[in-house]
Amino acid sequence: MKKLLSVLLALSMLAALPLLSSAEEEKVLNIFSWDGYVDYASVIQPFEEQTGIKVNYAPFSTNDEMLKKLQENGASEYDLVIASDYILNTARLEGLMLPLDKEKLPNFANLDERFISQYFDPDNEYVVPYMSGIPLIVYNPDMVQIEIDGFEDLWDPSLVDSIGLIDDARVSIGMVLLSMGQSMNTTDDAVLAQAKEKLFALRENIHVLEYENLHNSLISGDISVAYTFTPYVALALDANPNLKVVWPKEGLGFGIDGAFIPANAPHPDNAHTFLNYLLDGQVAAVTAEWQLYCTPNAAAQEFLSDAYKNNPVFNGIYDRFGDAEYVMNLGADESKFQDIWTEFKLLF
Amino acid sequence: MSGGKGAKMAGGRGTRLFIVPMAMVAVLFVAIPLCYVLVISFMTRGDNSTVQAIFTAENYRRLLDPNYARVFLNSMLLALWTTLLALLLGYPFGYCMARANRRWRALLMLLVIVPFWTNALVRLYGWKILLQANGPVNTVLRALGLIDQPLRMLGSYGSVLLAMVYCLIPFMILPCHSAVDKMDWSCVEAARDLGAKPWYAFLTVTLPLTLPGISAGCVLVFVPSLGLFFVSDLMGGSLMLVGNLIRDQLLKSRDWPFGAALSMLLMAVTVLIFGLYRRSGGKDLGVF
Repeated sequence: MKKLLSVLLALSMLAALPLLSSAEEEKVLNIFSWDGYVDYASVIQPFEEQTGIKVNYAPFSTNDEMLKKLQENGASEYDLVIASDYILNTARLEGLMLPLDKEKLPNFANLDERFISQYFDPDNEYVVPYMSGIPLIVYNPDMVQIEIDGFEDLWDPSLVDSIGLIDDARVSIGMVLLSMGQSMNTTDDAVLAQAKEKLFALRENIHVLEYENLHNSLISGDISVAYTFTPYVALALDANPNLKVVWPKEGLGFGIDGAFIPANAPHPDNAHTFLNYLLDGQVAAVTAEWQLYCTPNAAAQEFLSDAYKNNPVFNGIYDRFGDAEYVMNLGADESKFQDIWTEFKLLF
Repeated sequence: MSGGKGAKMAGGRGTRLFIVPMAMVAVLFVAIPLCYVLVISFMTRGDNSTVQAIFTAENYRRLLDPNYARVFLNSMLLALWTTLLALLLGYPFGYCMARANRRWRALLMLLVIVPFWTNALVRLYGWKILLQANGPVNTVLRALGLIDQPLRMLGSYGSVLLAMVYCLIPFMILPCHSAVDKMDWSCVEAARDLGAKPWYAFLTVTLPLTLPGISAGCVLVFVPSLGLFFVSDLMGGSLMLVGNLIRDQLLKSRDWPFGAALSMLLMAVTVLIFGLYRRSGGKDLGVF
């Protein structure tokens, strides 16, 4: 009898174990994003000190790598993912996201409403916008004879062999499409054929195609005009304040990176705590100044430095939301863009 | 290869067991991944880097597109130029190294080997800084009054070639050095004694005797040249090479099956080159 009792006792203790652990989450948070996309010293470390939650940061190198991991292991490793708009949409449609508990996110109200209710999360159920970027033209007026105010100027004969363009089919062919008054996401073969012809006509003016080093070429004087991503425009301007930034009149490419909690995240409560922390105005300001992107957080404004607020790279978007267009995932039609780009690069 | 002979003499089942770990490594790290790529290359793409298990030969049919042939041609040409330049610079270097006295030889060998201890990316960034419009090379040329506008060297085909040769030249120098070093010099002396001028003796005796070293060096430079696409990207060459094409299919078009088909083609080309090399009497490349 005594033996039976002790066995029963042991069994009941075993049964209670999972209950105990679910009542209070382990003080751990696993973030999955690009390397360095959440700064340790200025953002993660203060969070760990405030909350006692230990943050593990697993880096991925591409959005697609992230999606594959989530699809494969049922996402039981990660509590918080930060990725780009088009892949957020795919992850949401595939049911890989946990709905946000807004009760635990009082700071969600800090977001500028022009950055929420986007196509990848129309009802704001899953995603917290983190950073926003817009590729811009930046040029050195000492080396360029003309005034540049839009994409069309890039075809000017005086710019021969002096432009650096983003080495990405969607972004750069998208730029050509915008210059033609077309959508960056068109899959119309006739329009794409025209865009291809127009892109090929730009060959003479292009000195280099690169993904993430154009600011260095601009600073060193190897090129005099660059079409590149937000942080690189900011870095170029930082090194040479004489450079001019252009918000192209024909239209803008636009992107938002957002955070979400995977459907079976092991520590969803900690993830909510961290998201609410990221949404704090002061933290959002620190993050924006560190990552050199535009912040979707309205409450951050009062904490941003004057240098950031007066920088043309970061404040132009507020007048241009109507002209901004996302690069969306076109599925198998992505190849149409890639094939044009391959043929274009064969001219080099 | 005295070890091989010893194994043969011992014969027996015991020695054959020594092959097992090597075979396992080969199966695990070469055969299985290759089969995986081969299988994927016959499948249909899904959305977002996924693959659907529907058999198709479409990926290989797409390879017939003349643009992809041009990409391969581009890579071949760059590899050919790289090999030629590496040979023109590497052979004399290897030759002098083999003919130098012991102290010099050790020093030269050190100069060839030491850069390997630093990551190639870091060294190429060094070249970028040297060559950029406001870099040291342009500064010196301008100070000497040779140019008044900075040269835009970065991004040119020449800058890509320079970086390629720089990365791969040790693979030319070492086999050439080893061939010259092991050559029987009495043959050259005999030629000279019989009245051959130095150049004539070099062309008719030294060159044919060191040909195995030269062809080994050429294969060792040519084959990696086909795959070193990041060098062009880093130097701003904006070239479309096979490596870039495969990367773009995987990461940008998100078309894994087509990327796999391209990889299989590149592998076939590489195997063909090795096959030709071995058929023409080339020795085992593991040894130099």
